[in-house]
Amino acid sequence: MDIQEILAFVALAIALAFLIRKFFLKKKKSDKNCGDDDDCGCH
Amino acid sequence: MVSNQNINVALIGNPNVGKTSVFNQLTGLNQQVGNYPGITVEKKIGFCKLPNNVKANILDLPGTYSLNASSIDENVVIELLLNKNDKLYPDVALVVTDVENLKRNLLLFTQIKDLEIPTILIINMADRMAYKGITLDIPYLEEHLKTKIALISSRKGFGIDALKKLIVNYKSISSEPCLNASSIDPEYFNTLRKTFPNQLLYKLWLVITQDVNFLNLDRKEIRSSFTKSHSDLKRLQQKETIKRYQFINDVLKVGLKIDETVAKDFRSKLDRVLTHKVWGYFIFFLILFVIFQSIFEWSKIPMDFIDSTFASLSSLTADNLPAGVLTNLISQGIIPGIGGILIFIPQIAFLFMFISILEESGYMSRVVFLMDKIMRKFGLSGKSVVPLISGTACAIPAIMATRNIENWKERLITILVTPFTTCSARLPVYAIIIALVIPDNRVFGFLNMQGMTLMLLYLLGFGMAIFSAYILNKILKIKGKTYFVVEMPNYKLPLFKNVGINVIEKTKAFIFGAGKIILAISIVLWFLASYGPGEKFNNAEKIVTENTKENPLSEAEFENAVASQKLENSYIGLMGKTIEPAISPLGYDWKIGIAIISSFAAREVFVGTLATIYSVGGSDNEVTIKNKMAAEINPVTGEKIFNFASGISLLLFYAFAMQCASTLAVTKKETNSWKWPAGQLIFMSGFAYVVALIAYQILK
Amino acid sequence: MQTTLNSLKKGEKAIIKDFDIDTVPLKLLEMGCLPGNLVELLQIAPFGDPLYLNINGSHVAIRVETAKEIEVDIIKTNLW
Repeated sequence: MDIQEILAFVALAIALAFLIRKFFLKKKKSDKNCGDDDDCGCH
Repeated sequence: MVSNQNINVALIGNPNVGKTSVFNQLTGLNQQVGNYPGITVEKKIGFCKLPNNVKANILDLPGTYSLNASSIDENVVIELLLNKNDKLYPDVALVVTDVENLKRNLLLFTQIKDLEIPTILIINMADRMAYKGITLDIPYLEEHLKTKIALISSRKGFGIDALKKLIVNYKSISSEPCLNASSIDPEYFNTLRKTFPNQLLYKLWLVITQDVNFLNLDRKEIRSSFTKSHSDLKRLQQKETIKRYQFINDVLKVGLKIDETVAKDFRSKLDRVLTHKVWGYFIFFLILFVIFQSIFEWSKIPMDFIDSTFASLSSLTADNLPAGVLTNLISQGIIPGIGGILIFIPQIAFLFMFISILEESGYMSRVVFLMDKIMRKFGLSGKSVVPLISGTACAIPAIMATRNIENWKERLITILVTPFTTCSARLPVYAIIIALVIPDNRVFGFLNMQGMTLMLLYLLGFGMAIFSAYILNKILKIKGKTYFVVEMPNYKLPLFKNVGINVIEKTKAFIFGAGKIILAISIVLWFLASYGPGEKFNNAEKIVTENTKENPLSEAEFENAVASQKLENSYIGLMGKTIEPAISPLGYDWKIGIAIISSFAAREVFVGTLATIYSVGGSDNEVTIKNKMAAEINPVTGEKIFNFASGISLLLFYAFAMQCASTLAVTKKETNSWKWPAGQLIFMSGFAYVVALIAYQILK
Repeated sequence: MQTTLNSLKKGEKAIIKDFDIDTVPLKLLEMGCLPGNLVELLQIAPFGDPLYLNINGSHVAIRVETAKEIEVDIIKTNLW
């Protein structure tokens, strides 16, 4: 595996982590405090 | 940042007194917009540098007519003012009033004063005093209202420095109340005082009459011993209001003089035209027409520019970075993904600009007045017009804007039908498909066909919203008191600064909110499209060579064939092929199917998804997203994928389908039940499928 | 028969006499709709509803059904 491929997969991991946090772990967060979020899931 | 050393300042006032302009004047672009915990009420905090190196956190509270809350937004104000432990509890309250509506605006002021918070009275729009023949006796008013007055004009920007000085010296401001609460009903309040000797009487009164959380007192305890019937309470509230007005009238009799002979009446002339039974509607539709035409026309040049910039950026990176997986990810996944977000900035900025101009100018209330009778026939209220129009920006704030509809049935119906209005997330999808399937011709020399189609789609959205409201009105059996009170504010020329800040804030929220999702999805999509399982993907070159043994392809053709063989057998291709039977009757291929599925994260992801899929699989001749889509051809029939029939079918699908998880969440929050969002999802999406199916089958 | 607010003609003024406290919303009271205050009918929306009023200096629109609950004494215009 060359360096490019490793970096690309790191990007994939970050993207997946972000999406999972945004759509599956959203519930808990928004019930407690939504004030830190930019727009509370608008769009 | 919110810091404990800073002074906490709360900005309070009636709607339409220029509170937001004062906020913008004090804070400039130093603002943070968020939400109150657990509820979707917008929370705006700004930071302001005051003289003597003092800093202040300025909290812009929702507009309210009094402390007798009738909505969640207004509740926020009371809850904050009653809770001394809140980290934003104000050291000083600024009550903003409009010099032309001083009498009514002072009602709220006297209530805030009775909470014994140091209060500064801001009399705004002072630049209009001469015009309206108003003179004020400031020292007299200050003495009798027991406050300091800042006479300002947030439009012209004068008086702001004096106001800042007053805020710094807030400790010198009296916190003595204006009105003795016990005078409302001496007997009742005396027993109250005896039971709770350490509490402020007016606070107790608020806790009894309102539905607020009050941390220092157990409300149930008060309630049980001091319960009064609903109408008794209201009688007392009426008495309170009368007392307050008596006090205000007495003060203003000396403190405010109006020379009617000097006053100019611009409002009634404009009202006569704008609420006229013919001209009123004509002007309203003309305004809508101009808005939708210009969104399309004015955005075209910047949009094309962004599109081609990103296309050349993409090929530039592909050519200049060392070849490899990361370079491909950047040039085929990330850059088209970012381009797919930024391309819609022009249209979204224009849309938010128009909506905030309509609201700022005071015109929106005239539309409410004009439309109420008609809307009631469909089970809606005149006030439903505001959510329906602001729904063209985003359904989420629009659904929140239904809170000032007093009748529950009208409000529920408005919430349920608002997602039919064409939100800004649909705009990207419409824009690109219209550009592909509708000719760029002009009818009668000035009507742009593409602009007309866009306008028709907006009308279709409104029409569908109203039609379903009519049906819901027949089905839903909810009885409730109907009442309707809407303030008709004075006309104002919208302030460039207010509109500008609003547009910047909203556009930023779009880019960083939706943008992050779109970017992440395009990265994931690129991987799914670039990797695949099994022989068919890994040995694509071999398979293509064997299949084309008889008529060998040119080198470019060969490469294209390999790329599409790979794409079809990649992970995403296999997923798409699985759902293809369900969507091919609608005229879509599997690539569109993937784009539709990813649209459930956010509708505007559609374009970015197609851009990524086509970048991975497509030819390099076509660089921009639009051209790539135009060049797509169905391998079986040889027809264009985006033809008139499939284009119309897609437009209709996006017009009706419920594809926004955030809207469903807001509906759940506002209706307190999963029943309604579930209904929206099933009904809207099912209907969209059927309509798109019929349209394609007829047109193909 | 009592005169109620909805029977005003465009441009007519009246003094608010009394109303049913349970049906008239508190918000309207806060806008200045209280016994003894002056009210003027500024505009009637197309199709006759709602009514655009100047109540004690506040400009508000209310529906006819609410206006029916508010008793008024019409001020004869020739006196003004």
